[in-house]
Amino acid sequence: MSVVSDLVDRKEIIVCAGSGGVGKTTAAAAIGMHAATRGKKVAVLTIDPARRLASSLGLKELSNEPHRVSARKFSAAGLEAKGELYAMMLDTKTTFDQVVMKYAPSREQAEKIIGNRFYRNISSTLSGTQEYMAMERLYELHAEGGYDLIVIDTPPTRNALDFLDAPRRLTDFFESRVLRWFLIPYMKAGGGFMRVANVAAGTFLRIVKRIVGAEVLDDTAEFFGSLEGMYDGFKQRAREVAALLHSQVTSFVVITSPAEQSVAEATFFASRLDEAGLPFGALVVNRVHPRFGDRIEARPRQISKLEQGSAEARLLAKLLENEEAFMRVVELEERNLEGLARKIPRHRWVRVPYLEQEAVDFPGLAAIADQLFATTAPAVRR
Amino acid sequence: MLLDEFFDPKILIVSGKGGVGKTTVSAALAIMAAKAGHRVCIAEVDEKGTLPAIFGSEGLGYEPSKMCPGIWGLRIIPEESLAEYLRVQYHMKRISKAFTSTHFVDYITTAAPGLKDILILGKIWYLEQERTTKERFDTIVVDAPAAGHMLTFLSAPSGLSDALRVGPVRRQADWLVQMLRDPKRARVHLVTLPEEMPVSETLETTRALEERLEIAQGPLFANAVYSELFTPQEEKKLKGTIDRAALRTQGEAVGLALDDEDFDALFSYARFLRSRRSIQETHLRNLRAGTGEPVIELPFLFSAGLALPDVENLADVIEEKVEKL
Repeated sequence: MSVVSDLVDRKEIIVCAGSGGVGKTTAAAAIGMHAATRGKKVAVLTIDPARRLASSLGLKELSNEPHRVSARKFSAAGLEAKGELYAMMLDTKTTFDQVVMKYAPSREQAEKIIGNRFYRNISSTLSGTQEYMAMERLYELHAEGGYDLIVIDTPPTRNALDFLDAPRRLTDFFESRVLRWFLIPYMKAGGGFMRVANVAAGTFLRIVKRIVGAEVLDDTAEFFGSLEGMYDGFKQRAREVAALLHSQVTSFVVITSPAEQSVAEATFFASRLDEAGLPFGALVVNRVHPRFGDRIEARPRQISKLEQGSAEARLLAKLLENEEAFMRVVELEERNLEGLARKIPRHRWVRVPYLEQEAVDFPGLAAIADQLFATTAPAVRR
Repeated sequence: MLLDEFFDPKILIVSGKGGVGKTTVSAALAIMAAKAGHRVCIAEVDEKGTLPAIFGSEGLGYEPSKMCPGIWGLRIIPEESLAEYLRVQYHMKRISKAFTSTHFVDYITTAAPGLKDILILGKIWYLEQERTTKERFDTIVVDAPAAGHMLTFLSAPSGLSDALRVGPVRRQADWLVQMLRDPKRARVHLVTLPEEMPVSETLETTRALEERLEIAQGPLFANAVYSELFTPQEEKKLKGTIDRAALRTQGEAVGLALDDEDFDALFSYARFLRSRRSIQETHLRNLRAGTGEPVIELPFLFSAGLALPDVENLADVIEEKVEKL
């Protein structure tokens, strides 16, 4: 049994993490699909799926609500859905609105916040918001959704770790001393910053006002004003989410490609998980160039001789050249992965080779799932 | 296309989805320009990237530092841009720490989305106008944020210009709009991979640049394309049954003994190349069909790809292809 099947059987939450462009969303979808064939009721929360992948899961538009993938899709791909597969995309703004609704002391105050312009900008511009809301949605699905397993994709960031710090970054931002230092006097003075007792804050406000305009300053002051009294709720929830991620029901699956950069990031990520005491489950090495045999030792002189020969000889020269080029990639990828083996023991790895088709439809996902859950790891000749 | 024409605008903005090789292409363009005798400045934006690693330098600061002959590098950080802006604009010599703290920049950019982008573009404008540094440059290559964010990045000045009716900030936003909309001053090069998602995002971006933002584009780059090694006749032969004995004889003639396992491997790699290549071709066709700009295919690098010699090779490939346009 592969290391990933074991996680599917034992865990309630699988977090797929890794840098952008390594096939994280596809892996998350394949894990979900496989879990459904094993009888689980499973939800896959994607962040930003490719259009064809989304439509292969039956997601036509952004929807924060789980959508059931029909059993017919499974049978068409030659699979049997013993359980149920649900897919959804994160809607950051809606999730944030729900959070505000939950923690605002009154409906009136919640509506005031949701209608505020500064608030509306947060979900689209403030970094960390998407990550925070992904965690929030995960928590909710876990608590209330009645799923056996939730597989979550993480936002594509240059730094795969961002989402770990996101809740703290956002609460820090809301409580920032800098903001309180000049905004609260501004609010108390009823927007008349000239009357602010603190001279430095007065200068500061004058410049900010010049840059962003008075309206913006008013919106901001109103936002932070109406947030008063809600900080504890936010912080409490952030703590609960963190506790869930640290618990035994959760497992992190790190996805990487064998490219130097993403390997470096995966290595760093694995050690960060370790430091943070978060449960690491498996490493998926995606998009590995396949190795078809031992290196053929053809000398350049032999190849150039062939290049000058008959059509047959020239074909052989090209075949050798092609083999040599791929062997260089294969060996390079193996070297890149060796460093990773020192951090993560190989029995926690699953290698998924580049397949001859793309995983953009249901059968394509099934092919990826086959690789992820293969009973024996694909043989790699060394 | 003549190289002079390619490097006609001073500012080349290179952008694409994360992981498509945007930084590598930026570095290759810088090398190309330097080889043509330009003094080049290459700018990393906001996040720390792999640019310094390519040139073997330690890390980049806010002011251009020389990385190799003809090429300077810097990292544009919004916090520092804001400090510089306040210094230049308000003649503030001592700038309160509060102004340049990350929280404050986060606050101000949330309050006025796009301000962070304007601060970054403002620094590029300073460089173009040779306002704040002693160095002057013929070419400025911007390793711009990932494409999703890039549209907001490039539309920030016009957004702000629309929002503010008067005042100094409005005037400055207008300067940036003029800079970006002048094809003789700035041009965008999109980098993508021949894969579904990168191509569809690139097409969305290219349309938005053209229709909404009116920012000129240069050729697009499709990165990591497998080569067309075999001729159509050879492909045909490979698809049919191949006379191994004949090939084996050819090998022996040059002193190369090949057994059946070797042939299995040779044919498997050829088939692999073909299947990957045909997937890529579908996406390349979509890319070409969806854009009016020429598409330059860059080879899949069969070696590390991040070391300077690889990037220099890539620069040669680009130069050759640009000249053929």
